[in-house]
Amino acid sequence: SETERERKLVTSSTLYIGNLSFYTREYQIHELFSKCGDVRRVIMGLDRFKKTPCGFCFVEYYHREDAENAMRFINGTRLDDRVVRTDWDAGFEEGRQYGRG
Amino acid sequence: KRRRTTSHTEKKEEDPIKSQILTAGEKTSSVETSIESVAKSLESELATQKAKILELLVEVVTTHPEKCSVYSTLAGLLNAKNYNFGGEYVETLVKTFKEHLKSGNWLHAQYTLRFISDLVNSHVISATSLLQLYDTFMEGAVDSTVPQVRRDWLVFAILNCLPWVGRELYDKKEQTVERLMMTIDNFMRKRKRTHVGMLRVWSNDDNHKQEEYLECLWLQVEKLKLDGWIEKHINRPYLAFDSVLCEALQHNLPQISLPPHHENMLYPAPSVVYRMFDYTDCPEGPLAPVLPGTHSIERYLIEQELRDILRKYHNERRECTSHLLEYQHNNRVPLEYMVVEVIFGELFRLPTPEYLEICYGSVLIELCRKSPAIIPQVLAQTTELLFERLDTMHPACIDRFANWFSYHLSNFQFRWTWEDWSRALELDPDHPKPKFIAEVILKCLRLSYYERIADSVPKTFERLVPPTPEPIYKFADRDDGKTEIGTLQSKQLQAAFRGKAAHEDMIVILSEIPNPLEGDEGGPTSHNPIAIDVFAQTLFMLGSKSLTHAHAAIAKYQPVFKRIVENEDAQLCVLKSAYSVWKNDTQMLSVVVDMLLKYQIVECAAVANWVFLKEMQPDFTRIYLWEILHLTIRKMNKHVSRLSFDLNEAREKVRKAEMNTSESEDEDGDHADNPKDKDNKDVPTEEQVDKMEEKLEAAQADQKNLFLIVFQRFIMILSEHIARCDTDGKTFNTAWYRWTIGRLQQVFMQHAEQVAQYSSTLETLLFTQDLDRNILEIFHQFQALRA
Repeated sequence: SETERERKLVTSSTLYIGNLSFYTREYQIHELFSKCGDVRRVIMGLDRFKKTPCGFCFVEYYHREDAENAMRFINGTRLDDRVVRTDWDAGFEEGRQYGRG
Repeated sequence: KRRRTTSHTEKKEEDPIKSQILTAGEKTSSVETSIESVAKSLESELATQKAKILELLVEVVTTHPEKCSVYSTLAGLLNAKNYNFGGEYVETLVKTFKEHLKSGNWLHAQYTLRFISDLVNSHVISATSLLQLYDTFMEGAVDSTVPQVRRDWLVFAILNCLPWVGRELYDKKEQTVERLMMTIDNFMRKRKRTHVGMLRVWSNDDNHKQEEYLECLWLQVEKLKLDGWIEKHINRPYLAFDSVLCEALQHNLPQISLPPHHENMLYPAPSVVYRMFDYTDCPEGPLAPVLPGTHSIERYLIEQELRDILRKYHNERRECTSHLLEYQHNNRVPLEYMVVEVIFGELFRLPTPEYLEICYGSVLIELCRKSPAIIPQVLAQTTELLFERLDTMHPACIDRFANWFSYHLSNFQFRWTWEDWSRALELDPDHPKPKFIAEVILKCLRLSYYERIADSVPKTFERLVPPTPEPIYKFADRDDGKTEIGTLQSKQLQAAFRGKAAHEDMIVILSEIPNPLEGDEGGPTSHNPIAIDVFAQTLFMLGSKSLTHAHAAIAKYQPVFKRIVENEDAQLCVLKSAYSVWKNDTQMLSVVVDMLLKYQIVECAAVANWVFLKEMQPDFTRIYLWEILHLTIRKMNKHVSRLSFDLNEAREKVRKAEMNTSESEDEDGDHADNPKDKDNKDVPTEEQVDKMEEKLEAAQADQKNLFLIVFQRFIMILSEHIARCDTDGKTFNTAWYRWTIGRLQQVFMQHAEQVAQYSSTLETLLFTQDLDRNILEIFHQFQALRA
């Protein structure tokens, strides 16, 4: 439900990262986002059909505070020459890594 | 949604008095007229809104320190019109000041004391009573029974005020000021300086003298005194109201006594003043503003204000950069140079920077965006200059420099004129310059991809470009037809992984590998190094596709690891296998070590021992190895603090429950529907609390052991080096030595709080008097930081 989602958003330590290059790899994202704290995992967004990266991912931190810092310091800066957009995410669930083809 | 609505209504309801006070000195034609009109309007509100006005005028002292003289002028005008209000204001201010001191809020105390001093200028407070307050501070400063950090702060707080009020005090009480200056001079002469060695960004003063903060400020204030206490920086709006203010009656500050020192009181840490530029570095020209000299008070005042902006807006880089670039005195100084110097000063601050390194990096990127004509050029100049001074730079700062520079390049298409650094290629590979270049290239690779970076550096730099980050598999088929022992089993294991075989079947495969440790007597041995190597390497290869694959592989087969890795030697085997597979991909290696720790396949102590193994010698001066050590220590520290947090929480629950029962004893004995019973289910039993205590104690013992291992290894490796150089008749002060002693310092600096707990054990067991004095010195510096 909507309120449930909102409740999750304000306690989440997961970020949705958008506007990535299709060529950006997991290790690059890990390297960049580790600058704000220990990253629990990176989930690459994949094309539903081709199963190749398609410009977004989820970054999950151990602590919300670290995700907050990524929102402050990484959002709007560049990775692979593209301006990275970060946004709060209610938490990754299996299946959400598949974007539109 | 709800949160947004409240903040919205708050904005709507913002009361006129508050907004007037906050905008005083702004918006209208001149600062003076603005203050005057706010004063008039507040004066008319005093009858009904006094309490609120008092509160707000005290609040702004610490929330808007940059407007100190605006508010002291405002207070002066109000006092001139309404002496009683002035009195109440001083009283409230003093009360808050005492609270700041008592709670150890030194920054707010510092702002408040400066404001109180400025109130002498606007004729609210008498010069005599301010000097008495300074005397009280100096009495505290000469008390040799309290830590130097406390005494330093007291002197600092006074010196910090003198640029504002020195002239006025000198005019009115010349002799008292002279006496104060002599007392401070005496204090400064007797002061210990042991801690300075740990705080210096560069190990020598060839380019700029790196002065300790208090010493530098003292020299600046002495120079100010020589200049007749006249400075050219502070706006003093009260001067325009002299005719009104000189009529006003002044208040005496009440007696303020310092709260006594107690053990849990933390004082501001000492620092070294960071200098990177002098006037010759900045653009010349008849109209170009000149950078104030090192000992001019203006340099101090401007730097302090720029740091205040950073502190206030460090989480909002866009606002932060606007405020920095629109700094009010920007036509009088080469602002961009001062801003960049202050930011690097904060980034390189030892022992640790105030905020995340990327915080400063993101501000610098934003500055480039907002001031594209100047800032990128200043940053290029900065990079050149820092590069030139690398040979004496502290390794901890070299790390931060390399991290920042690679990150910065990644935001600007990795464009850099590498050729300018060609001469570094001729140096010893351990020299900081080629090391720095190699580290920057490596970090750029991690943020980009191999070909892009490898192609962007000149061909001549090839030696500094790391090999392609690919795994190396010892048990792969070889061209020379030879096979490693265990190759067969590794093939069987691969098939087992693919076929999702049971863990037990894998153990069976591994048990067929001959154990080199099995003695002739055939006695029982603890672990089989070859079997561990076969399993670990094969598994790491299985998970080599990405960090996520590696994570999944380790998580899934953790139980197999647990079966074959039974002791610390076995753990070292796993780490050696990891290195052997991932020596060309240090990012993967770091992540894998992190996973091995997380899944408790290896312990922190094993990682510490591994870092110092002979096998790791080739990488001993590389940054990543120390990043691994620090992540390991951090893991241990977090573990201990979590256990201690849990224990405290459990004790608190028990305490509350006990209070509840004693309360309910008086009540009716029937508990059937008592809601408190529900809580009681959460209350841990005595046994549980005991268990938690045991767990915490065990973790603390591990933590202490970890530090003992790390420091012991450092001492061994450094002592051996010094002794060997002695025998060979060579200087021990080599590039390798400087890296290593710097890494030792770094452990103290990064984990100061935890190390401090074990200080006395370290002193009796490791840092003993017979140790080489160069090594012992590091420990003494560390102790002096808090003394």
